[in-house]
Amino acid sequence: MRTILILIKKEFLQVFRNPLLLSILIVAPMVQFMIFPFCADYEIKVLDIVFIDHDGSSVTQDIIHSFDASDIFVPHGIIHNKKEANRMLKHDKVDIIVEFPNHFEQDLMNGNATRIAITANAINTTKAGIGVGYTQEIIGGYMQEFKEKNMVYTSAEETPANVNLSYIYWYNEQMNYKNLIVPGILVILVTLIGCYVTALNLVREKEIGTIEQVNVTPIRRWQFLIGKMIPFWILGMAEFILGIGIMKLVFGITVQGSIPLLLGITAIYLLVMLGLGFFISSVSENQLQAMFIVLFLFIIFVLLSGLFTPTEGMPKWAHHINYLNPMSFYMEVIKKIVLKGSTFISVQKETIILSVMAVLVNTGAILSYQETSK
Amino acid sequence: MEALSVQKVNKVYDKTVQALQDITFEIREGELFGLVGPDGAGKSTLFNILTTLLLPDSGEIRILGMDLINDYKLVRQEIGYLPGTFSLYPDLSVKENLDFFAVMYKSNIEENMDLIRPIWRQIEPFSKRKAGKLSGGMKQKLALCCALIHRPRILFLDEPTTGVDPVSRKEFWEILQTIKTQGITVLVSTPYMDEATLCDRIALIQNGKILGIDTPQSIIQHFKGTLYTFRSADIFSLLKALEDCPLQCNYYPYGEYCHIAFYEDMETAMPQFLQFLEEQGQEHGEIKPIQPSIEDCFIEIVKMHRHE
Repeated sequence: MRTILILIKKEFLQVFRNPLLLSILIVAPMVQFMIFPFCADYEIKVLDIVFIDHDGSSVTQDIIHSFDASDIFVPHGIIHNKKEANRMLKHDKVDIIVEFPNHFEQDLMNGNATRIAITANAINTTKAGIGVGYTQEIIGGYMQEFKEKNMVYTSAEETPANVNLSYIYWYNEQMNYKNLIVPGILVILVTLIGCYVTALNLVREKEIGTIEQVNVTPIRRWQFLIGKMIPFWILGMAEFILGIGIMKLVFGITVQGSIPLLLGITAIYLLVMLGLGFFISSVSENQLQAMFIVLFLFIIFVLLSGLFTPTEGMPKWAHHINYLNPMSFYMEVIKKIVLKGSTFISVQKETIILSVMAVLVNTGAILSYQETSK
Repeated sequence: MEALSVQKVNKVYDKTVQALQDITFEIREGELFGLVGPDGAGKSTLFNILTTLLLPDSGEIRILGMDLINDYKLVRQEIGYLPGTFSLYPDLSVKENLDFFAVMYKSNIEENMDLIRPIWRQIEPFSKRKAGKLSGGMKQKLALCCALIHRPRILFLDEPTTGVDPVSRKEFWEILQTIKTQGITVLVSTPYMDEATLCDRIALIQNGKILGIDTPQSIIQHFKGTLYTFRSADIFSLLKALEDCPLQCNYYPYGEYCHIAFYEDMETAMPQFLQFLEEQGQEHGEIKPIQPSIEDCFIEIVKMHRHE
């Protein structure tokens, strides 16, 4: 017991004497929270649009004017040359081209099929999707009005094919993207402390040779690992609580569910990450190697975890890989408890899986830690 | 009883590098035993094995009656190890390092203060300083304190004086003598031949093999040749010329002198040698007979092993 206590004391002394590590622990979460949620914003604020009007009728004029009422669309005039419009699209002057065909009004009044072509720059798929959706919405709204005003009664079957009235909500007004990204950053923070800092710490002892000096003492390897784990576990929990605080103060996101439950599962998740960190440090010889392994795993974890891309859209094999990804389970828990206010029952599965992972990873870490080399 | 008994220990790295070959020796309790050999001889490998950090490929080692490989946990409580490179926590203070290692060995500073007091007194004024900020000699003394804090029965010191200034080296050896008087068996390795004479017994090690074990005096007595020393204006051309010397001899530069050991009847050999030098046109200072040093003995032994 005294042995473990002095190990913990030693670790804290070292952390608090390492100004760089300390500032990373305090400043990094702040910076991540302050910058990332504001940058990783999928909200579209401006859509540049240009019209090609081959018809030049009052209907097309009316439709074009109805775009002026929108806050998002910035019209870049009406042109008659398709080549010119394509050039604008190519040079990023506009995001969307709307092209009205000849005899558009006439066809419309006669109830003939006619089509409006919407061309969007799809390099940014989100923007293109949202832009096309909005454009359809505005044109559709106008068409509805037009029909009522002109008493053009058409049955559903006769609705002109491409003047489609479907409203596609690409962007949910109610869904604030920050609500998703901020808890995600919390997950990244806990993972970084758990895995990165721990792996680097232990491998540094290898580099400066202190681990040999400790290994020749009668201390058992599990004592040593526990003495290492507790301090970083405490740091990780402190970091998490700091994160929750920032989340509430800066973004006004309160944890909807039970905070003790959240802390409990975080504690288990941290154990998985600490064990992984130790495992990595015992298979690597220096901090550089450890860093590469952590980075490699970290990127896979993050990309598969569903923070940036929804897991639903992933192929089946990716889902299978995700069963090994502790971060995806933890991300699920965070989303459920923080945003939905779920209770233990709905995160039961994740909790059990994370607990099993914690046991396995830590057993592996203890076994891989070599007191005596061959 | 032997404090340490090493029987036919072998270690091969990467399947090709024979780091240790049939190492066999015994150290008596309370002995100050020196392991003398150049860099790369296998000293550190042997130390890593003896301090339970590395497993030998074969061989048997008993420390204080315990089997090193099976009882390594018990062994660790009884040994102290000062590694070749400074490996204490540089960001902990002198006192914190000592405290830490005391607890690691389930001991405390007060209990064994009398053992380390002579050394501790010298570093105590810096007890609040970070270990990383100490001078080389001070670091070494702190490391020694940390290795002694649990009153080990055997102390292993891997090249404790490498890179240390001559004054500190002398001081360090005096400390080792005091540790010995406390009844602690000491195994120390060194690449410096002059330090070998300060040991009770030494083992000469080269290329992973022990070439000889004896007291320094006995090793010197067993020097087989007749040793002479002389100066030369151009030592390089002298050594080149000696390649053609018809006499049974072993020659090598020794500082600014040339040492030459003859394995001949000197009554007839010396005039022949003088004549040879003259024929070669080599100018030289007075050729004086001298007592061999440990280094001379080591060179002779290495040479003989090469001929075998």
